[in-house]
Amino acid sequence: MAVAAVHSGGIADHIHPEPESFLRKYVFSIDHKIIGIQYIVTCGIFMMLAGALAELIRVQLMRANGGFMTPDTYNAVFTMHGSTMVWFVIIPLLTGGFGNLIFPVQIGARDVAFPWLNMVSYWIFPVAGLMLYSSFLMGAPVAGWTEYPPMSLQGGAGTSMWCAAVFLMGIGSTLTGINFLVTILKMRAPGMTFTRMPLFVWGQFVTAPLLMIATTALGAALAALFVQREFGVPFFDPTKGGSPLLWQHMFWFYSHPAVYIMILPAFGMISEIFPTFARKPIFGYKMIAFSSCAIAILGFMVWAHHMFTSGMAPTLELPFMVLTMLIAIPTGVKIFSWTTTLFGGILEFTTPMLYSIGFLILFTIGGVTGVFLAAVPFDLHAHGTYFIVAHFHYVIAGGSLMGALAALYFWYPKMTGRMMNESWGKWSFWLYMIGMNGTFLPMHWLGLWGMPRRYAVYDPQFQTWNQIESWFSFVMTASILLTIFNAIWSIKYGKKSGANPWRARTLEWQIPSPMPYYNFKHVPSVFAAPYDFAEPLPYRGLEEELTDSPPPVPAAH
Amino acid sequence: MHLDRGFWTATAVIVLLGIVAIFWWIYAPIQSIMPEAVDRARQIDLLYRFLAASGTALLVAVIGYILYFVFRFRKRPTHSPDDIGLQIHDNHKLEFWWTLIPAMYIVVLAAISVNLFFQIEPVNAQGNTLVIEALGHQWYYTFRYPGINGEVKEMHLPLGQPITLHVSSYDVIHSFWVPEMRLKADMVPGLINTLVFTPTRPGKYELLCTEFCGTLHGDMRSGTPNDPAYIYIDPPGKYKAWYDATQRANAHMSNAIAVASAGAVSLTGGDAAAGKSLFQTKCSACHALGPFTQKIVGPGLKGVLHDPAHPNLVNGDKATPDDVAKILQNGFNGPMGTMPNQTANGLTDKDIANLVAFLNSLK
Repeated sequence: MAVAAVHSGGIADHIHPEPESFLRKYVFSIDHKIIGIQYIVTCGIFMMLAGALAELIRVQLMRANGGFMTPDTYNAVFTMHGSTMVWFVIIPLLTGGFGNLIFPVQIGARDVAFPWLNMVSYWIFPVAGLMLYSSFLMGAPVAGWTEYPPMSLQGGAGTSMWCAAVFLMGIGSTLTGINFLVTILKMRAPGMTFTRMPLFVWGQFVTAPLLMIATTALGAALAALFVQREFGVPFFDPTKGGSPLLWQHMFWFYSHPAVYIMILPAFGMISEIFPTFARKPIFGYKMIAFSSCAIAILGFMVWAHHMFTSGMAPTLELPFMVLTMLIAIPTGVKIFSWTTTLFGGILEFTTPMLYSIGFLILFTIGGVTGVFLAAVPFDLHAHGTYFIVAHFHYVIAGGSLMGALAALYFWYPKMTGRMMNESWGKWSFWLYMIGMNGTFLPMHWLGLWGMPRRYAVYDPQFQTWNQIESWFSFVMTASILLTIFNAIWSIKYGKKSGANPWRARTLEWQIPSPMPYYNFKHVPSVFAAPYDFAEPLPYRGLEEELTDSPPPVPAAH
Repeated sequence: MHLDRGFWTATAVIVLLGIVAIFWWIYAPIQSIMPEAVDRARQIDLLYRFLAASGTALLVAVIGYILYFVFRFRKRPTHSPDDIGLQIHDNHKLEFWWTLIPAMYIVVLAAISVNLFFQIEPVNAQGNTLVIEALGHQWYYTFRYPGINGEVKEMHLPLGQPITLHVSSYDVIHSFWVPEMRLKADMVPGLINTLVFTPTRPGKYELLCTEFCGTLHGDMRSGTPNDPAYIYIDPPGKYKAWYDATQRANAHMSNAIAVASAGAVSLTGGDAAAGKSLFQTKCSACHALGPFTQKIVGPGLKGVLHDPAHPNLVNGDKATPDDVAKILQNGFNGPMGTMPNQTANGLTDKDIANLVAFLNSLK
């Protein structure tokens, strides 16, 4: 029945009237594109905060004996940097931000399945963010973004506020997951079968169940920690019969899938960008899509590889080790497929293409060190050191964030109708590559030589390398600031883009820029995957989208 | 086609660089940068060489081909805007091999890692092992040795002697890491983690905390004013001299370790059945339920409260329920090894009452 409804256009043709008032149009909007932009802008603000915290960390570490901040301030700073980047920048940027903005159009829908829920998801975000930062006023959380008890039981009142803020953010994530999953399952345009979906939609489709399922485990853990801190129920206190390891299991049951929440949408982004600028089909479409599913499923079975030194039964460590190593296989398939997509293309090095190539290189480095860490005997040495810091920054800053930057330059015209400045964009790419590698590459050997993470002061023999890292981190910050400036400047002064400046083939490029409220005048039919550059576009019913014909009439209520 | 001479030249360069990388990691002087202080370190470094060699070779291949493709297939001024690239969608043979070869690599890596895992894990502790305990505090370490009263601030290890190291904590989670040992164990309150190794290289080594533990986490390392404790691996004679001197110096100290709630535990209402299941999880690693002579680390506990041949406990107290409770509460540092106290063992007062009731039921 539902399928019939989609194919007759029943659900997809339902149009709400466009709101008139500023408040309903730009603030409490239910339009997925406005909500996407709201997410992206809010993430940008939080990224500047988290970036400032990161630079405070780097300034402190320029001297082995510290002195720039007290140890407690330093501990609060890295805790807030991690918490902000994970929950308030990367996850909302890739799902709520670019997900909202693009994927409903890519499947030929007029909005997500639950537009009001979408608005609620977004408005939870700034509220939770304010709560998180208000914890600075009441004794900030200091135990790192992982907040292991019993350490987190000692933190100031801000730690409880941290629990509440991240819990709220988790509710927003869960709602977004439900919303996206239903949208992709139920609201695809006629003919948009699963194997015709753009790979960015696949990325969101695989991420949505992770958001729904994993985040609930985090919510339970946070609720338990909050209850223990505020009401003394000793879930995690060993002196009263609780277990500190219980927290670690619950936390990582969320936070390992969260790593894939942070990378699968970025996989989708670069899978759109490579074909567009190589003028050739993505290599191994099905393998890329199905390997995402394999990664998502395996991602639920490997959480305890974060706990190899914590104290588990040895017989439990082995399956976690082997399952973790297995993830290398689908990930390798993706990397080889993207590399081969470049083969025989006509490569145009626009800013989004440069960022995507950067993603491929840096993410591969992070992936390889991930396989190292999966091996328990190696992890016994590297766990808790700067090697870990290097590994996850290559995956998150080199992977997820690089993907998001590529996406920003790529889809900016669909938000504003203008292009971002290309030469500044290229500058920002090279600054990012230099800064990112200079900051995080030396951390590999620092960690192996014996520098533990989360140290406010450290062994003076490591000072030179830390100073080098700090100087390079300023370059990375300059790159991000240049991109943010470019994005703001281009709203008004950017070159007019037209509907399809990159000559891309997915549906969002076939409608005007910025995208109109109703997305499509007529919901199109789809009869092939979008990546055949030798063929005409595989859509019917788009003839009037770029003409002056009147927009669709809202259904009467 | 595009598989032209340039492609094969690039492939040859990549293969060559990959081989160079592999040989570099096979012969890399890891030891001169990071000495290997215990037997386990050498084994772990072999795995590290394998990982680093294969990982670098893979990076050389992937990044090498990316850079070559970027150079070779760049858009040239001669291209018209409507030109398109090679329209290939997939190649099942290629995809089959690049799934199968990594899968085979993972099988090899898993086999190597599992094999090594069983060599370094504590399951194969040797019989003549020296059992030591390391305890984390905010923000320093202490150590307990069999036969030495109290806790000592430095760790000395005799060269060539198999060591079983139990680690735990008094407050929050800390971690025990000596980079030259390549081994690490978290010190979790209420849980005892174990490392097994044999020191092979004399010297003075730094001990570092790698699990965030609060304000002075960065000072919880050897050589800071807060925590001056280094780890020394000594030749047996030197170790013996240190051990004897420390034993004398600490003779006046109690070998019971004080805990926060020092009051006597009420034993009323102890539940022997609950005590039995608790015994399995908390005590059975070191104590058998057989006769006194059935020793694991501590003695067998059959009839501990009813054995006329052993009327006294190890600390000289009479074998009464209250005195057994005292040992459970405070732990004991005896000639056989170290028994953790109530805090480190994660026992509530009620747990102690249950355990005593269970032990009392053994006749």
